Amino acid sequence: MPDVLKAPLVVEFPFTRSLGPVQSAFLTGLRERVVLGVRTTDGRTLVPPVEYDPVTADEIRDLVEVAPTGTVTTWAWNHAPRRGQPLATPFAWVLVRLDGADTALLHALDAPGPDTVRTGMRVRVRWAAERSGAITDIACFEPYDGAAAEPDGHRGDFADPVTGIVAPARLDYTYTPGRAQTAHLEALAERRIVGERCPSCRKVYVPPRGACPTCGVATSEQVEVGPRGTVTTFCVVNIKARGLDIEVPYVYAHIALDGADLALHGRIGGIPYDQVRMGLRVEPVWTGGARHPDHYRPTGEPDADYDTYRELL
Amino acid sequence: MSKEPVAVVGVGQTKHVAARRDVSIAGLVREAARRALDDAELTWADVDAVVIGKAPDFFEGVMMPELYLADALGAVGKPLLRVHTAGSVGGSTALVAATQVAARVHRTVLTVAFEKQSESNAMWGLSLPIPFQQPLLAGAGGFFAPHVRAYMRRSGAPDGIGSLVAYKDRRNALKNPYAHLHEHDITLEKVQASPMLWDPIRYSETCPSSDGACAMVLTDRAGAARSPRPAAWVHGGAMRSEPTLFAGKDFVSPRAGRDCAADVYRQAGVTDPRRDIDAVEMYVPFSWYEPMWLENLGFAAEGEGWKLTEAGVTELDGDLPVNMSGGVLSTNPIGASGMIRFAEAALQVRGQAGEHQVDGARRALGHAYGGGSQFFAMWLVGSAPPDA
Repeated sequence: MPDVLKAPLVVEFPFTRSLGPVQSAFLTGLRERVVLGVRTTDGRTLVPPVEYDPVTADEIRDLVEVAPTGTVTTWAWNHAPRRGQPLATPFAWVLVRLDGADTALLHALDAPGPDTVRTGMRVRVRWAAERSGAITDIACFEPYDGAAAEPDGHRGDFADPVTGIVAPARLDYTYTPGRAQTAHLEALAERRIVGERCPSCRKVYVPPRGACPTCGVATSEQVEVGPRGTVTTFCVVNIKARGLDIEVPYVYAHIALDGADLALHGRIGGIPYDQVRMGLRVEPVWTGGARHPDHYRPTGEPDADYDTYRELL
Repeated sequence: MSKEPVAVVGVGQTKHVAARRDVSIAGLVREAARRALDDAELTWADVDAVVIGKAPDFFEGVMMPELYLADALGAVGKPLLRVHTAGSVGGSTALVAATQVAARVHRTVLTVAFEKQSESNAMWGLSLPIPFQQPLLAGAGGFFAPHVRAYMRRSGAPDGIGSLVAYKDRRNALKNPYAHLHEHDITLEKVQASPMLWDPIRYSETCPSSDGACAMVLTDRAGAARSPRPAAWVHGGAMRSEPTLFAGKDFVSPRAGRDCAADVYRQAGVTDPRRDIDAVEMYVPFSWYEPMWLENLGFAAEGEGWKLTEAGVTELDGDLPVNMSGGVLSTNPIGASGMIRFAEAALQVRGQAGEHQVDGARRALGHAYGGGSQFFAMWLVGSAPPDA
């Protein structure tokens, strides 16, 4: 089997989040160096706070300040911090029950090594120098052997509260299109269009998927199709799509290449947009070193009869 | 052993808007769920299980949001199940909840669906920059517009049908206080004059992006007997799926949609949907899908759906009202959109639809679809319990 193609795929987006009243107070508090919890119906204090009581499902809004000091309830050593984590040097992930709270908060503990960390050890918040209303306003926790700090009794009312945050998400993949598509893509580089025929229903798939979605069997018989084909249907695009450098209006069409049993997608050029029609005969145009055709242009043949492509619509 | 009859005794939704910056996702779903419980006059403790649906996690970028929503939905200590079928998810979520009651696994189930499109990026989530692939050359409308043209060619429908649908749905929305778009100065001329985005689809013939949630309380016969308001009874429900693309796929009238409707009608004893069904709330994200689905769902013969629209049959005071709520064209929190269709069908047969009530509606169809016309979910609800 030939080598399959492979390439990195990075999926990245900065998501916005509306916080609602409780998370708004919690994160605004961190900006002001105040840690807030929420009191449940049965009198426990949850840190970090939640909007609804986990036991009764009641809406809970009774915010109470807890101390910036606390006790490690459990931990795990992180030997090799990754990008975006709280500290660049090895650290402990810790659950810390702050003094005055009944639940523990997940954060990082700056410690010289795993032999210096233990469940039950006392720690305190190390505030970030620059704070914006985010969990990273707590830079990390650090070992602390003093007395429990006394909170000031803040109830979560702030001027200029933080109401939303931006949460960047990023996923790193290695993508491979697989055997069938690799063969198709390599043929495209030679300006040939190759699909695969299903051994059961005999339908030709372009691009091939390596299996027939109707019969559920593997496909391997390669079939060269086109290069000419028929516009089965289309639309005229009048608004610019983000990230696409194509002048509007242009025609986006479904094209059934000769010998293929379903249409693929392409742009139609070499003809005014308002003269494109169903049944127009077209052929691919490659430009530069691009793998995919840049667009399809009219061949000059008479239009295909509707009955020849109605099943491909 | 026969199935337990399933009754809808509570319906709740948020006022759908472009952006709900005042609430978290938890606060949004909570609002709809609380209203459904209030409608049923029940408390969190009366609920045995929660079934929740939303569009793909990529939309808001929250992995498995159902886990963190357990507190907000009173689900701690109870089964909480997520359903995931793209744009049809609101419908299939309600059907999974109904199945739990029908199977006597649970007596009372809360079902919820939501989307916060203002904090989401649906287009990004659906068009990842996959290496080696040719980029999609058009937006969401560009995906559907060629299928609309294929329908027009196949049926011979005149160009103006899509505008009639949009004009009707936007007027219906004015009667629905929960609808997102309330275009008080809407006229047919304005719809017809709106910009052509993806010819043949005009701007006013597309759905908005909305923040919203919808919830329902489903229960058994005993629960329905205690209900303070009339119940909607489930007479039939089904889901079907098919691949997005395959040789022979009919995008104009997908087989999965036809089969799904036929299954629902068989369960409900419907032999002539046009005669036997009083109101239809169907998933129409682009106006032309009304005539297309009228055919796909068996309300009109192939190529004839547009004639019902043109003749005013689908108007609120017509012989077969379609999208009384204003439809997806007026409100589209994607993950909730299917459930809003199902809930509207229930409101109609309960006589609770307010200004957009169809007089004497006894049986109503709720319909949802999603993906590349790939997932279908439908239910038929009635004002009377199903035959034993």
